[in-house]
Amino acid sequence: MSAPSQNAGFLKQATITAVFIAVLWGVDQLLQIGLNPYYVRVVVNCGIAAILALSLNLINGCAGQFSLGHAGFMAVGAYVSATLTTVYPAGEFFQSPLGVGVAITIGGIVAALAGYLVGLPSLRLKGDYLAIVTLGFSEMIRVCFLNIPAVGGARGMNGIPVHSSFFWVYLWAALAWVFFWRLLRSGRGRAILALRDDETAAEAMGVEVSHFKVVSFSLSSAFAGIAGGLFAHYQGFIDPQSFDFSRSVLVVIMVVLGGMGSLSGAVLGAVVVTVLPESLRVFESYRLIIFPLVLILMMLLRPKGILGHREIWEFFPRRAK
Amino acid sequence: MTPPVLEVQDLSISFGGLKAVAGFGLTLRPGALEGLIGPNGAGKTTVFNLLSGVYTADSGRFVLDGADLRGFSAYRISHAGIARTFQNIRVFSHLTVLENVLVGFHQSIRYGYWDAFLLTGRFRNDEAAMEQQALALLERVGLASRAGDNARDLPYGDQRRLEIARALATHPKVLLLDEPAAGLNTVEKEQLMGLIAKIRDEFKVAILVIEHDMKLVMGICERITVLDHGEVIATGTPKEIQSNPKVIEAYLGVS
Ligand SMILES: Nc1ncnc2c1ncn2[C@@H]1O[C@H](COP(=O)(O)OP(=O)(O)OP(=O)(O)O)[C@@H](O)[C@H]1O
Ligand SMILES: [Mg+2]
Repeated sequence: MSAPSQNAGFLKQATITAVFIAVLWGVDQLLQIGLNPYYVRVVVNCGIAAILALSLNLINGCAGQFSLGHAGFMAVGAYVSATLTTVYPAGEFFQSPLGVGVAITIGGIVAALAGYLVGLPSLRLKGDYLAIVTLGFSEMIRVCFLNIPAVGGARGMNGIPVHSSFFWVYLWAALAWVFFWRLLRSGRGRAILALRDDETAAEAMGVEVSHFKVVSFSLSSAFAGIAGGLFAHYQGFIDPQSFDFSRSVLVVIMVVLGGMGSLSGAVLGAVVVTVLPESLRVFESYRLIIFPLVLILMMLLRPKGILGHREIWEFFPRRAK
Repeated sequence: MTPPVLEVQDLSISFGGLKAVAGFGLTLRPGALEGLIGPNGAGKTTVFNLLSGVYTADSGRFVLDGADLRGFSAYRISHAGIARTFQNIRVFSHLTVLENVLVGFHQSIRYGYWDAFLLTGRFRNDEAAMEQQALALLERVGLASRAGDNARDLPYGDQRRLEIARALATHPKVLLLDEPAAGLNTVEKEQLMGLIAKIRDEFKVAILVIEHDMKLVMGICERITVLDHGEVIATGTPKEIQSNPKVIEAYLGVS
């Protein structure tokens, strides 16, 4: 490939990115003026859920492992970033929007390290056993935060600077999408998909299976941590209960409902699982029964998830060129 | 004489009380095409599992180009240059035919995560080059037209050839084929054996093939090793094997 065309490719990417950011910012402004804050909140929660689902999809959908501890990594990201911005603010910097972004990134990195540790058992355990271990780890993380007085213990943390917004959440969500999309279309991503299909064959083809299992856990946890940071700095408040078992289960439901291994499926699952309980509010407390019923019904109708293994656009016939 | 590319000595493994392979030995010269035969349950697949690192031998050694690989994990043995196919087909069923072969190129990948994330020129060039090589391999085994299909949608015979292409993608010095002709009819079997002989010539790779059909093995292999109850009972040219009383006894089941 010649140098000019490479530069052109880079220029094109930069232009698309710039336009995307501008549009996102514009929509953010419009939402602030035009939309009922309640709806804005639901839309933002969809974005956070999408990041969680996209990231868990790497472990549960692509690498063929089973994690039931995503809330734990989210908690790490939330607590680490909130501690930086609230409890031990390193000067004014971490109170500024940029500082909050940096804190959230650091939260993601720490979550990735936690993901690395939790990924290690995946080298020995499979299926249900692995699920139980990841669940145990995430509960341990939660109980740790519950017992650290500096981060509020059971009361949680208040007064976290609210600097995440529609704009930031969807910027990170887009980044997560591009990250996982490109990862899966690279040699490393193929290695991860190969180990899901057949570990023995993948290893025989020169893929260091143990390495890629742990890498999947780390990369996935990084984005779970970022989702946690965004969550903390959107709510302005976090407590250990925000990251309990039920949240992990919800993220698994998003991935399974959307279709394991499908990125658009993960996003779709995230939107359904976030919006559905909200739209059922008219049924008041009955929604606690109706929501699971709807989920069960959807899984009965489409046992492989709404999209199965496929991406959403694969359902539409391609235009003839 | 050229030094051997693979030298196996005294390789043994037991499962519980069962000695599946005992004192296995074999010498492969570069570019050799040899056969490994024996009755059902003789231990042929177990030998391949040992040589490819699926199992670790209890004792013995196998030396590839001067390096003893016993105890190495499977991916490192693959990097060192031993590739294999599987008797019970193991294609990556949810990946496309092309992607299956691309996984075989795993160790040739030079670009990093950042290259993939930023779609750098290096990433595009490497991917394009690998894709071309992969397509050439598929062309070679006659599967180029199915590159975009899911691997699980291929008939079994094609899946076996896909496994051969995938194994060749790892740039092996030694290629182990476990019953590549299983489930094929007579004509297809002969075509496949012809293909294997050509692959040996073109890729300069030493091939060890397990096959039950004596006539086919005798037809293309220069030397044959016969296993029975985990032990080598004969080694030699097809002619020598044919007239070996021990082999005849093992196959007629007089024991
Ligand atoms: N993982 C294992 N655990 C226990 N026993 C095993 C294992 N692998 C192989 N064996 C046993 O070792 C013996 C040799 O099996 P192997 O699969 O190597 O035979 P084979 O020569 O390939 O036979 P076939 O022609 O049927 O493929 C058999 O008795 C088999 O049951
Ligand atoms: Mg066998």
